[in-house]
Amino acid sequence: MNATPLTRRKVLQTTANGFGYLAFSALAASASAQSAIRNPQSAIAPGPLSPKPPHFPAKAKHIIFLCMQGAPSHVDTFDYKPKLIADAGKSAPSAAGRYGRADLMAPKWEFKQHGKSGLYISSLFPNVAKHADDLCIINSMATDLPAHPQAFTQLHTGTTQFIRPSLGAWTLYGLGTENENLPGFITINPPGNATRTYGSAFLPAIYQGTKLGGNRLPIPQQFARRFGGQEAGMADIKNTRLNPEAQRSQLDLIQKLNQSRKQLDGGVSPEIDGVIESYELAFRMQSEVPNVMDLSKESAATQKLYGIGEGPSDTFGKQCLMARKFVEAGVRFIEITHGNWDHHTNLTAALENNCGQVDQAIAGLLQDLKQRDLLKDTLVVWGGEFGRTPHSQGTDGRDHNNKGFTLWMAGGGVKGGMNYGLTDDYGYEAVHNKMHIHDWHATLLHLMGLDHERLTYRYAGRDFRLTDVHGIVAKEILA
Amino acid sequence: MKALPYLCFALFAACASAQTESQPPHAAITPDQLAFFEKNIRPVLVEHCYKCHAANATKVRGGLLLDNKQNTLLGGESGHPAITPGDPAASTLYTAMTWEDPDMEMPPKQKLPDDVIANFKRWIEMGAPDPRESKIANPEGGRRQIDMTEGRKHWSFQKPVATPPPAVKTPDWAKTPIDHFILASMETAGLHPVRDADRPTLIRRIAFDLTGLPPTPDQVKAFTEDKSPDAVASVIDLFLDSARFGERWARHWLDVARYAESNGKESNVPYPHAWRYRDYVIESFNKDKSYDQFLKEQLAGDLLLSDGKKDQAEKIIATSFLALGPKGLNNRDRRQFQADLVDEQIDVVSQSMLGLTLACARCHDHKFDPVTQRDYYALAGIFQSSETLYGTPSQQQNNFPSTLIELDPASGQPAAIAKLAPTEVTRLKQEVASLTKASEEATREAMAMRQQGRDNGNVATFLRIRQARDRTASAQADLDLFTSDGTPRTLTMGVLDRPSPINSPLLVRGDINQQSDIIPRGLVEVLCAPDEPRNIAQGSGRLDLAYFIASKDNPLTARVMANRIWLHLMGQAIVPTPDNFGLMGMKPTHPELLDHLALAFMENGWSVKKLIKQIMLSRTYQMSSTYDAANHATDPDNKHRWRMDQRRLDAEAVRDAMLAVSGTLDLYPIDGSPVARVSEGRQGLIQLLTQVNSQPSPHRSIYLPIIRDQIPEFLSVFDFPDASLVNGQRDNTNVPSQSLFLMNNPQAIALADAFATRLNEFEGTPLDRLTHAYHLAFSRAPTPEELTAIRTFWMTFPTKVETGSSKNSQQHKDKAQKLALTTFCQALLASAEFRFLN
Repeated sequence: MNATPLTRRKVLQTTANGFGYLAFSALAASASAQSAIRNPQSAIAPGPLSPKPPHFPAKAKHIIFLCMQGAPSHVDTFDYKPKLIADAGKSAPSAAGRYGRADLMAPKWEFKQHGKSGLYISSLFPNVAKHADDLCIINSMATDLPAHPQAFTQLHTGTTQFIRPSLGAWTLYGLGTENENLPGFITINPPGNATRTYGSAFLPAIYQGTKLGGNRLPIPQQFARRFGGQEAGMADIKNTRLNPEAQRSQLDLIQKLNQSRKQLDGGVSPEIDGVIESYELAFRMQSEVPNVMDLSKESAATQKLYGIGEGPSDTFGKQCLMARKFVEAGVRFIEITHGNWDHHTNLTAALENNCGQVDQAIAGLLQDLKQRDLLKDTLVVWGGEFGRTPHSQGTDGRDHNNKGFTLWMAGGGVKGGMNYGLTDDYGYEAVHNKMHIHDWHATLLHLMGLDHERLTYRYAGRDFRLTDVHGIVAKEILA
Repeated sequence: MKALPYLCFALFAACASAQTESQPPHAAITPDQLAFFEKNIRPVLVEHCYKCHAANATKVRGGLLLDNKQNTLLGGESGHPAITPGDPAASTLYTAMTWEDPDMEMPPKQKLPDDVIANFKRWIEMGAPDPRESKIANPEGGRRQIDMTEGRKHWSFQKPVATPPPAVKTPDWAKTPIDHFILASMETAGLHPVRDADRPTLIRRIAFDLTGLPPTPDQVKAFTEDKSPDAVASVIDLFLDSARFGERWARHWLDVARYAESNGKESNVPYPHAWRYRDYVIESFNKDKSYDQFLKEQLAGDLLLSDGKKDQAEKIIATSFLALGPKGLNNRDRRQFQADLVDEQIDVVSQSMLGLTLACARCHDHKFDPVTQRDYYALAGIFQSSETLYGTPSQQQNNFPSTLIELDPASGQPAAIAKLAPTEVTRLKQEVASLTKASEEATREAMAMRQQGRDNGNVATFLRIRQARDRTASAQADLDLFTSDGTPRTLTMGVLDRPSPINSPLLVRGDINQQSDIIPRGLVEVLCAPDEPRNIAQGSGRLDLAYFIASKDNPLTARVMANRIWLHLMGQAIVPTPDNFGLMGMKPTHPELLDHLALAFMENGWSVKKLIKQIMLSRTYQMSSTYDAANHATDPDNKHRWRMDQRRLDAEAVRDAMLAVSGTLDLYPIDGSPVARVSEGRQGLIQLLTQVNSQPSPHRSIYLPIIRDQIPEFLSVFDFPDASLVNGQRDNTNVPSQSLFLMNNPQAIALADAFATRLNEFEGTPLDRLTHAYHLAFSRAPTPEELTAIRTFWMTFPTKVETGSSKNSQQHKDKAQKLALTTFCQALLASAEFRFLN
């Protein structure tokens, strides 16, 4: 079955939008696809997933978005505020506190300068700090609303209210993907009831994210099959009854019936060709997907790099390693969600715990990408939907803060070792080079070679953009 | 039709009222009125109200602002206008002052003197003249002016025109006027029609198109042998008359009605009564209710005259259409919530019924279509004047629970839940009581802790109280489903007119805090004749809107539906953007044909079944889908319809056909919906999703629970649309997840097993069984090549498969044979032919 030649393949058709057929010729363009070039006639109409040229040359070809759901505290991690430390205990400015007393609260972790660039990073991220010279820390992020569902939706779709395509879907729509044996947009462990963060809305369904793991509701057992429990899995990727040889003989029958139907219809049917190719792809995915997701073949050194098997960072480490493997395999957009950053109470222990779960894994990912020469065309993004207040909530917590927070990027096309933008002296509000979510989206697309004003889709009578009518590219951070 | 006299009156009144006592709110104020206001009203408002109800208040209470006229008329979070000019009883400001309602006594600490209250009464009775116009820049300034005369020239804003069927070079081919239109365009393009479909192909096409199910082998045989000239007409009637027809065609409408049984968005609480609307739509299509009536009922069923309790109940259920949308239940500002709710209603009404995107004019005049922002707010007033009732208990992330409409118990409506035994009623009551107590205790405890200064985890405490209250609200909602003797109450979602209608202010940039002119409730200007009155005289205006849309004079309504019907029968629409007939929509490929169909539709009493039959009787519909090299070279997309498109079955048809062929389809679901049988609130959703995935349903797909963002995987994998959006044409993807589903999903495998069992029970030789399988799945016999392929499979498969027994043993052979049969059955269900219509 592995000998199946990759000839003219039309995998997919979306008649509704007139996109034509997905050409397997696309595989020829992929670094990881070797045998596709055998048939030069395969250069037929490009399909919705085949690689498309960017609007302009760009360094980033892949995105790994490490999404910290719940809004991590910026003043305790990447936004160093000496005045906040100095004024700790003083009353917070104006009516900042929603719950009674509100006093400024100093971070409990020491900030130090790291790398040649001397970026300030707190002791919560000792391993990420080793990569300071690769980080572009954006301290001036802002979003519209200090409420999780709306802000989380805006982070992913640009809007707090409407049902719109997600960032990953827009990227896939704009650029296609490099390996059509795999989905082009994979989201690992997405939170419950947040399908919009990887949905395609009015974009063709093909651009939506493929979900691995992640319980949509707090009822794990019943969904174990679908979601693979705590482990990430892809739906229906394995047959429980037939071994590959037996299933291949079933598939041979299906394909003969399909060929026969095509003959009955006059010998030409792109529709049936599409089905035939879809089966071949699905069959190949059954062996390729588990391979990409199989981390056991990675060396002990690599596993150690990500903190796999070493307590707190084991789970996130595996997910980061899987993300690297997806990048190697040509997947365009990978998102990993890490939850529970909403530290209204018990901040000292909980934030430390959370950082412990991701720090080693993220550092390992950056190092691994670098040593494989993948970081130069992979953009790694770390951030959440907003930040937290410089004043305390209760005795050991921080409240929501949407007017100023921090997100960082590294790799593909972005300058390393820099801070971009500023919040005020305490970290309440972005005051210099403010980067609203729309601006971040515009910049992100720019790094991928897409002009956010030209990346449009016509729906319900008008051209839609990820950035709506907003968005300014932060040119200063482009490498 | 019975309500028509009322409408005439309404329109008449609209003309007459401009000069009479119901003065527009922005009418000039007389000096006497101004003096009265400045002396008796303004000082009181400033002294006693502004502290909590003005824009500069430290904290605005109840979302109510009384510091300018527009906000005072609009009211606050209660959703009621604070002042209804001329009507003190409908003015919550006045009611609050009188301290008659113990829940609303204002100002809270000290009742105002009686003479002050009397002054307010007098002021309201004189029409509440108020000089405090909000100071907002003129929204008209510097914007593009829409030229309505020019705008009305767009093709779809002009009424359909009858064109005689054109002459063609080969008139023998054409059977009906439709064929003349199609053939003429084909001939112009140098194309020729392909051969007619054979009988088995044709009946399979007709059966799926009308019922969403394959024909039975007996039906195929009878049709193939029927040599009478009206064989096709009879078989069409057979399926049109089947109760399965409504189950198929209702689903098409449910797609554009963005039907679902939960709210979706951030607060995905169930709508346990939404199924009544689903059943109403099924019933309407089965009865062939005239389409204009169907639309009127959904927009204003509560206001139409009815023929008895049952009819009235059904008409009220129809208005669920307006109440089913996704809502921002976790919003904090009622005005924002209300504005978004109305926006969603305008969007669904305009796209589904008119093929227009009127919601685009919320923040500015429509960028492309001749629709102004005034048009939008004229419509918004109509919906603001109606109360949308959708249920849902109060809980975290749901700040806007609403009531439902209770229908007459004698209205003959089915119940989704059984009557409760008295002991059960008692138990439920006790549960509510104990949960109430628990939540009160949690609250008290938290208060006590706070007073003692022991409170160090505000949010945790808050969450605990919130959860206790949520559980109480859910249990109370469960109890509220029954009368005191345990009989289920007959509840439905829907809309009702508010006691007094309100006009909406135009919101600059759609911002609720930037109110401009008050816009009288009214209809869309570009669709009215230049001199036609558009304003609403009395009531919310929904009835006027209903008659305005469901009208032969409306240039869009019939065209939009005729186009939808053509799309479902042909695979491509005449206007390829079925939900957008505006300037940014695509032009019709066959404009004269579209008008022909729209006119015929209206002339035949807006009968959907008649229009379907008319299209099906055309030779255009009855062509085969075979390939033709010469035609294909000229017109690869079949825009000229030189053949029938090869179409993909949609999700429901794939699933229903798999159930039917495997012999496991149960056509008779229990009344209601699984959603109605779980608890209210989020807890119910969790119960439901557990149940849905663990117990696959044997019922038709239309009866599966449609929870927004949690669509059953069998449907979502085959392009079921986003249930939060209007969707006139489904995606048609062919992605590997579909192949993986058919190859590996336990539901797919279980259906193959059932199919195999069914074949095993069929009397005859192995070849007879195989042929029977083909007849069931494909409505035809296998070809010799296919038989060869199947034989090859039968020889190789048993050597590959592992059964746990030694390969040479008899046990292995038996097990392998059994597995071969079910694997063969699965192959038939998974093949392209099963999922395609030729």
